[in-house]
Amino acid sequence: MQYIKNRMLDRELKKGSAELLILSLLEDQPRHGYDLSKLIEARSGGILKFRVASLYPLLYRLEKRGWILGRWIEKAGQRRRRYYRLTPVGANVLASQRHTWREFVLAISRVTGVEHA
Amino acid sequence: MPEWPDDVAEELRQHLDDQYRDLRAAGASHDDALRAMADDVNAVRSRRSGLRPELIAADVRYAFRTLRRNPGFAIVVLLTLALGIGANAAIFSVVNGVLLRPLPYRDADRLVVIWGDLRRPGVNQIPASAGEYLDYRDRSHAFEQVAAYDTVGFNLTGGGEPERVEGAVVTTTFFALLGASAQVGRTFAAAEDQPGRDDVVVLSHSLWMRRFSANPAIVGQTIPVDGRPTQVVGVMPAAFQFPDRSIEIWKPFLLDAEALSDNNRGSHGYTALARLKAGISRQQAQADLTAVTATFKADHPGNYRNGFGATLRPLQEEIVGDTGRPLMVLLGAVAVVLLIACANVANLLLARAASRRKEIALRTALGASRGRLVRQLMTESVLVSAIGGLIGLGLAAWAVDLLIASAPDSIPRIQEVGVDVRVAGFTALVSLATGLVFGLAPALRASRAPLNDALKEGGRAGGGGVHGSTGRALVVSEVALSLVLLIAAGLLIHSFTRLQDVAPGFDSSRLLTFRLSLPESRYTTFQKGQWFFDEFFTGLRRTPGVRSVAAINALPFSGLGGSRSFHIEGREEKRPEDQTEEQLRIVTDGYFAAMGIPIVAGREFTERDALNQPRVAVVNDAMAKKHWPHESPIGKRVSFSTNEPVWYEVVGIAGNIKHRALENADRPELYVPYRQPLFAGWTVRPMYVVARTSADPASTAAIVRHEVARVDRDQPISDVRTMDERIGRSLSNRRFSTVLLALFAGLALTLAAVGIYGIVAYSVTERTHEIGVRVALGAQRRDVMAMVVGQGMTMTIVGTAIGVAASAALARLMSSLLFGVSAVDPATFVGIPLLLIAVALAACYVPARRAMRVDPLQTLRSE
Repeated sequence: MQYIKNRMLDRELKKGSAELLILSLLEDQPRHGYDLSKLIEARSGGILKFRVASLYPLLYRLEKRGWILGRWIEKAGQRRRRYYRLTPVGANVLASQRHTWREFVLAISRVTGVEHA
Repeated sequence: MPEWPDDVAEELRQHLDDQYRDLRAAGASHDDALRAMADDVNAVRSRRSGLRPELIAADVRYAFRTLRRNPGFAIVVLLTLALGIGANAAIFSVVNGVLLRPLPYRDADRLVVIWGDLRRPGVNQIPASAGEYLDYRDRSHAFEQVAAYDTVGFNLTGGGEPERVEGAVVTTTFFALLGASAQVGRTFAAAEDQPGRDDVVVLSHSLWMRRFSANPAIVGQTIPVDGRPTQVVGVMPAAFQFPDRSIEIWKPFLLDAEALSDNNRGSHGYTALARLKAGISRQQAQADLTAVTATFKADHPGNYRNGFGATLRPLQEEIVGDTGRPLMVLLGAVAVVLLIACANVANLLLARAASRRKEIALRTALGASRGRLVRQLMTESVLVSAIGGLIGLGLAAWAVDLLIASAPDSIPRIQEVGVDVRVAGFTALVSLATGLVFGLAPALRASRAPLNDALKEGGRAGGGGVHGSTGRALVVSEVALSLVLLIAAGLLIHSFTRLQDVAPGFDSSRLLTFRLSLPESRYTTFQKGQWFFDEFFTGLRRTPGVRSVAAINALPFSGLGGSRSFHIEGREEKRPEDQTEEQLRIVTDGYFAAMGIPIVAGREFTERDALNQPRVAVVNDAMAKKHWPHESPIGKRVSFSTNEPVWYEVVGIAGNIKHRALENADRPELYVPYRQPLFAGWTVRPMYVVARTSADPASTAAIVRHEVARVDRDQPISDVRTMDERIGRSLSNRRFSTVLLALFAGLALTLAAVGIYGIVAYSVTERTHEIGVRVALGAQRRDVMAMVVGQGMTMTIVGTAIGVAASAALARLMSSLLFGVSAVDPATFVGIPLLLIAVALAACYVPARRAMRVDPLQTLRSE
């Protein structure tokens, strides 16, 4: 069961829901990679978990598309880190993906009979 | 976008660090934390391995991209490999064409030469006589076919300039034995070895093209050969040559009663060839042959006093002769060059692997297994060596043309050398092996680098120690290998100069030489021949520019020779060993003066030593010392006939001369005058004329032709060369292999110097920081210099010591190729290492200067 769940999640992530997760988390403030992976794991209650091998390639892909922008930022007393923030293009994509996602979840709920809270 | 791979590595490193710190903060032990992280990585990795075609294709694409990203590296590596592989392919082409490729005759592996053995000391490889040939042919059971031939020259006249053409008389079985048939017309019919039917010839393709304009109608026509009307019955295809391409005309070997008489049983003038029956081994054939020859003594008691035996030798071995050894030395030399090239490339790869460690660590982090990484890196190596091999094959094709053009024609089968399927296959194999050899160590090492260390290791590429020890070992072996080659080349060059300094025993300057063969059909008596030479020489002596002229039957450095048995008056022959046989020369009067051979005692021949005068002889110094060790030979008499002695009185002692090669020991020689023939039936023989000129001898050739034509307008001259040219040609084989070996040794030295430079320069880059700190702490510039140069020179000295030891160990292999130089020649064994050390110093100096200029402030600031 756990195996199937992982497989499904992996597929979903690849399909694009992972992109939505990243973009959402960057909406409020710039974050670095490890921060992102921790947040995803914590907020999903440990169900969603990014591996190093998927997270960073995804970040670079998003950056290449111009949806997010990475910058090295040095803070006093810390070593420099690469922070990612949402670009205006990314914000538009996020809005559109979020909309699509809500409609999708709603549609699924209607079909499967699960009440929307 | 993050810069690949530095930024990505830094980012990943931070991620892993953070993860580790959090895991530890949550109470995990160090090991648990590492394991948890490793699990994460492995989970991904397990899905990504396997040897799938698309992965290999991806590897190749990736390898191409990597090469394109670093064109400087790619060019250096490809050039190094192309030179190494190309040199191997070129020399292998020669080995293949000369030694390996079967002779161009049907089932050539079944062809053998039959050598006779008269069981007399020093005479064990003699050709066959006509009678022996018939016995081999008719009495043996192991041979499918037997043939015999002898090379002779023919004068072609009628229709154009008279021309001397090299040819052969062959038994009528000859062409069938070789499996060759004519392109136009036919070869010889069985009955054409009978008197009255033997005035037929077969032409070579080249002669047909040159003299008869490739006219097919020439077949059936009659042309004058040696003044006799002779019918052309066929033309051979262009590919046919035997025994080599210089032979352009074939005539049947006349097997008449005279040739087969018991008198002629001992006239061993024909090389006997045989084709083994299918399925018969050489040993079986040898046994069969021994049974045949065992009967010879009983059947012909007068001819085989000590009995007779015969041995078989494969034709291929016979043709290739002793060319094999120098070729194998050259093949060994290019293999060494390739090894050095491999070491260099491996070093470059190691250096690059060190700077690629983060990329590799990252790929590991992204899920590549170790096997996958090794495969990726090996794909790169093999791709590089494959491209290098392709370029090398191109270089080889070009180099082979150059080799053939510059090779002496004394190398057998050199014209058959070329790049064929076997050479291509050899090159492919060598390239693959090369790629594996230079790629494996760096790949294994690179893929073993621990992930976290590599990611954590900061901006400096670092890891000099890991690359360093392997790299230094590689450079040491490069130095040792190139020193072995350099010493070998040094010894050969030394031998060559020694050889050039050898005096031939006569004055070779301004000496024009050529061959003159009077046809027996026109010059039927000895007197007619004498008349020709008297007329010709008188005319030539009147010519301005010609100072003296004479003739000899076997000219030094013409490749001809000949010995004859004789006995000395008053000495009895009790045992077979007492029979004396020495080199015999027949010379016209004034020969010694014309050649500049000193007469040590007595006198030389004059025109007064005529047929009706007492017979005289001249011996050389070696002959005098051998046969008259305690007395003067002058006044002593020798005879060449066994029944009625005809005495020749020794009237002079001439200086020794080199006859075949400068490296040969002085041989005893006996000279008799042309005017006093050895026996009554003596007719004209082919002679070599020597003319001492006051100007450039080559320019006198036209005058000589004119003078010959004045006496006999149908008489050609051939083999026109200056004596210096002949001596040069006798050295050409040796010059060829010496020059090639020197070339390869130079290439090896260059590669080794590049190798030393590369590793020293790399270590300077690696140690910039350390050097900066040292300078900041007060180290002097010259200390830095000494440190860097010292590092390079340590490797050089160790390599040199190993190389000298290896050369001394290999000395025995070399000694047979040397002349006048010991295989452990002290001058070479000291001088060559010094040369190598000087080159290595220069190679270290460049990076050392850069190290001296390291600015401590800048290095420290960048930290």
